[in-house]
Amino acid sequence: MLLRVDNLHTHLRSGGQIVKAVDGVSFHIDRGETFCLVGESGSGKSISALSVMRLLPRDISSHPAGRILFDYRHDNGSTEQVDMLTLPEERARHVRGSRITMIFQEPMNSLNPVFTIGDQIVEALQVHHPDIDYAEARERAIAALVQVQIPSAAERFNEYPHRLSGGQRQRVMIAMAMVGEPDLLIADEPTTALDVTVQAEILRLMRDLQERRGTSILFITHDFGVVAQMARRLAVMRRGQIVETGSVDDVFHHPQHDYTRQLIAALPENLTRARRLSMTETAPKPTPSPPAPTLLDLRKLEIYFPIRKGILRHTVGYVRAVDGIDLQIPRGQILALVGESGCGKTTLGRAVLRLIPPTGGAIYFDGHDLTRLGRAKMQPFRREIQFVFQDPMASLNPRMTIAGTLTEPMAVHGIGENKDDRLERARQALTQVQLDPDWVWRYPHEFSGGQRQRICIARALVLDPRFIICDEITSALDVSVQAEILQILLQLRRERDLTLLFITHNIAVVEYLSDEMAVMYNGKIVERGVTAKVCSSPSDPYTQRLLSAVPRVAL
Amino acid sequence: MPGRGSRSYGAQVIREALTNWGVRFGLAWIAILVLAAVFAPLLANSHPLLLSEQGHISSPMLRYLTPGDVSLLVIFFAAIGLLFVPVRPRIKFGVFVIAVIVTVLVTHWFVVPPKLTIYEQYRDDQAAGKYDWVVYAPIPYSPKDYLRDQGDTGLEAPLSETHQVHYFGTGTNGADVLSRMIYAARIALGIGFVATGIAMAIGVVIGGLMGYFSGLIDIIGMRLVEIFEAVPTLFLLLTFVAFFGRSLYMMMAIIGITSWSGYARYIRAEFLRLRQQEFVLAAIASGLPLRSVLFRHMLPNGVAPLLVAASFGVASAILAEAVLSFLGLGLVDDPSWGQMLNEAVQSSTFYWWLAAFPGGAIFLTVFAYNLMGEALRDAIDPYLKKKAA
Repeated sequence: MLLRVDNLHTHLRSGGQIVKAVDGVSFHIDRGETFCLVGESGSGKSISALSVMRLLPRDISSHPAGRILFDYRHDNGSTEQVDMLTLPEERARHVRGSRITMIFQEPMNSLNPVFTIGDQIVEALQVHHPDIDYAEARERAIAALVQVQIPSAAERFNEYPHRLSGGQRQRVMIAMAMVGEPDLLIADEPTTALDVTVQAEILRLMRDLQERRGTSILFITHDFGVVAQMARRLAVMRRGQIVETGSVDDVFHHPQHDYTRQLIAALPENLTRARRLSMTETAPKPTPSPPAPTLLDLRKLEIYFPIRKGILRHTVGYVRAVDGIDLQIPRGQILALVGESGCGKTTLGRAVLRLIPPTGGAIYFDGHDLTRLGRAKMQPFRREIQFVFQDPMASLNPRMTIAGTLTEPMAVHGIGENKDDRLERARQALTQVQLDPDWVWRYPHEFSGGQRQRICIARALVLDPRFIICDEITSALDVSVQAEILQILLQLRRERDLTLLFITHNIAVVEYLSDEMAVMYNGKIVERGVTAKVCSSPSDPYTQRLLSAVPRVAL
Repeated sequence: MPGRGSRSYGAQVIREALTNWGVRFGLAWIAILVLAAVFAPLLANSHPLLLSEQGHISSPMLRYLTPGDVSLLVIFFAAIGLLFVPVRPRIKFGVFVIAVIVTVLVTHWFVVPPKLTIYEQYRDDQAAGKYDWVVYAPIPYSPKDYLRDQGDTGLEAPLSETHQVHYFGTGTNGADVLSRMIYAARIALGIGFVATGIAMAIGVVIGGLMGYFSGLIDIIGMRLVEIFEAVPTLFLLLTFVAFFGRSLYMMMAIIGITSWSGYARYIRAEFLRLRQQEFVLAAIASGLPLRSVLFRHMLPNGVAPLLVAASFGVASAILAEAVLSFLGLGLVDDPSWGQMLNEAVQSSTFYWWLAAFPGGAIFLTVFAYNLMGEALRDAIDPYLKKKAA
């Protein structure tokens, strides 16, 4: 047994309050094993890991109880069990960095931008092995870079972090963590910020390295698909406590605790399966209705961003964010636009509302070309087309009450006879998204992310639109909250005959929600068709690569 | 943070700022200055507050109040009253502005103090035994009372004489320093607030337009900012004083017009950031008019750094006026801290009380505003808060 966490308590002081961030957590990790801590945001999984590393600031954190027993391996090979919580800081620093290392979620922020990646790895190595001279450290750093499959590692040694992509930076982070040959690697959501194809590569790399080196990994994630790929044992955390521990198979197929059951049922894959089961039981198959008229029609839509250089800012080239896209959405359908970051899907969505001016092509909405309308003529369409944004924390004005946020657009578009009527409509909209109507007088900071996203949907609904563009609206949310939001959307579609353009990178959500899907790559649509068909038999090589990279829970 | 009982971000910032000792000290000092400025005629006046002349009671102090004195008193009590009236802040502000304009106009037309002021009149009459009793202000000297009846119209150190007490001594003309300092608080506060107000108004409009529209307007605006940043305020003030004579209002306007560029930069940066925020995009997407997008959605969220800059700006405006007065280019006869500093070094002897007290007042005022600015910056900074969380 390499690490045993015994009844760990971590209290954090925030203002005058004590938050029990970790409240009696016990688990153990054997040598060479991967152990997953799974939980939704705020469940205390990262705080647990930081407690093990003793990285929490002393002045705001305390450990009233618990032990963190770590099998410390001396340089001569003998081992000694130490309690990380009571270890003197000098020795704790040695343990952290040489025996326990950590990689973080955000690869963009975790490398120092003013040093070359090589120097950072060498430094990490030399701090804990002062006997290694620079030439040898350099050799080992390059070897580590080779191991994490950085192409032409010797040349990349002198690169600065900004020259690397997100996935490559995370590889460098892994190289830095592994170069000292630690016994335990703590990975805190290492792939959450990465695209799914890059995530698949990083996960494969971590598995390979572990097999070769026998390093134990404490893997922290919220994604059950990743758990299924990485670990054999996992613990599910909620509100600072572990509610269930067991092998991955057991927990997935025979969850004991209610919370685990809820979490697993909320996975989009399971939502899809549950619906399919209920559909086959009740209605055998919906009769194919006559093709609905097209509501939104994009023709050869192009959006280029100029690249400007020099003091005169002359244009030297263009970034083709959206490169000649034809796309039709029939009325009443949900079309999912799928793609990885940077493929232009958000730009496309924003262009429909003219938040970004298109370079060429036309956007027909119900027969009107939106690209040719003036500001005044566009106004009625700003009512009929609504947008729900990705980040619920940023998409509500923090200085306005919910009432103000919901009623102001109504007043502008002449909905409702007077203030009271509009307020009543706002309350109704909140009820529709399953929120308490009396919350209209609150400010956004009083709500959680999921609640805010519902308010954003309510803001779209009060204008009684025909078409809503949802831009990654669930990607910042926990899986159980995501399930609720998706169900609200489906219900609204039934009740109001809405048409949705659902922009996402999450294939499981697409399978659950959409009728048709379009896959976008480098500003072009590479494949489009009925969702079930594209998912089961993709024809385009990129779609195939994307679908195979999605981490799935074997159910 | 749900359920913390805090209603708005503004209330949270104020609460956070008030826990800081620097803010408490700063606010206390500014409050003292405000009270001194408003109640100056009651605190320091050669005219008795009340006197009884053969059974007939009168108040020369009231008779000699200037329109400025009356306006300040009325506005002060109007502001205090408004604080306790439960209406929306925006309405409060509107009522306040209207009240200020009306008061200034009304007092200008209707408050007419006697043209000729003879400060020693009451002292002479009292010495002659004309009054039954007299109530003087705590400091029985007006700022421009040069004590000509006392014969010795020169400099005196604090508390050097027994028959007439000057707590802070007297200036070159024999006027009481404390009295002059109390009246000078008006100029210090006035120039700070008005000049900063002008600068903020210009800065917000120009910076806001630059940030929101970016592109060509931004390029033109930034060049304008650079032009104004290249203008040295002090030399411009000197030039204007040389050409157009000395006027407090001109000084306020010039300091305001030359110092807006900093505010414009702040607001521009904030608006550039806010423009990409999703709630602003949402406001644009739902077809809200530009006025609402700019002033309801963007400005309240971008104004916080401006408040910090403003509190530093007030301090620097006060300093600019003091420097100008110190150079002998301020107001002629009206009291000002800088002008008193100037008196302290005019002759070969160094009069410490003329340097220490007004200098101390300038220092404390600038320090108070800086403390408040710094505390405000901490209170609105989410990163610092996160560290504590």
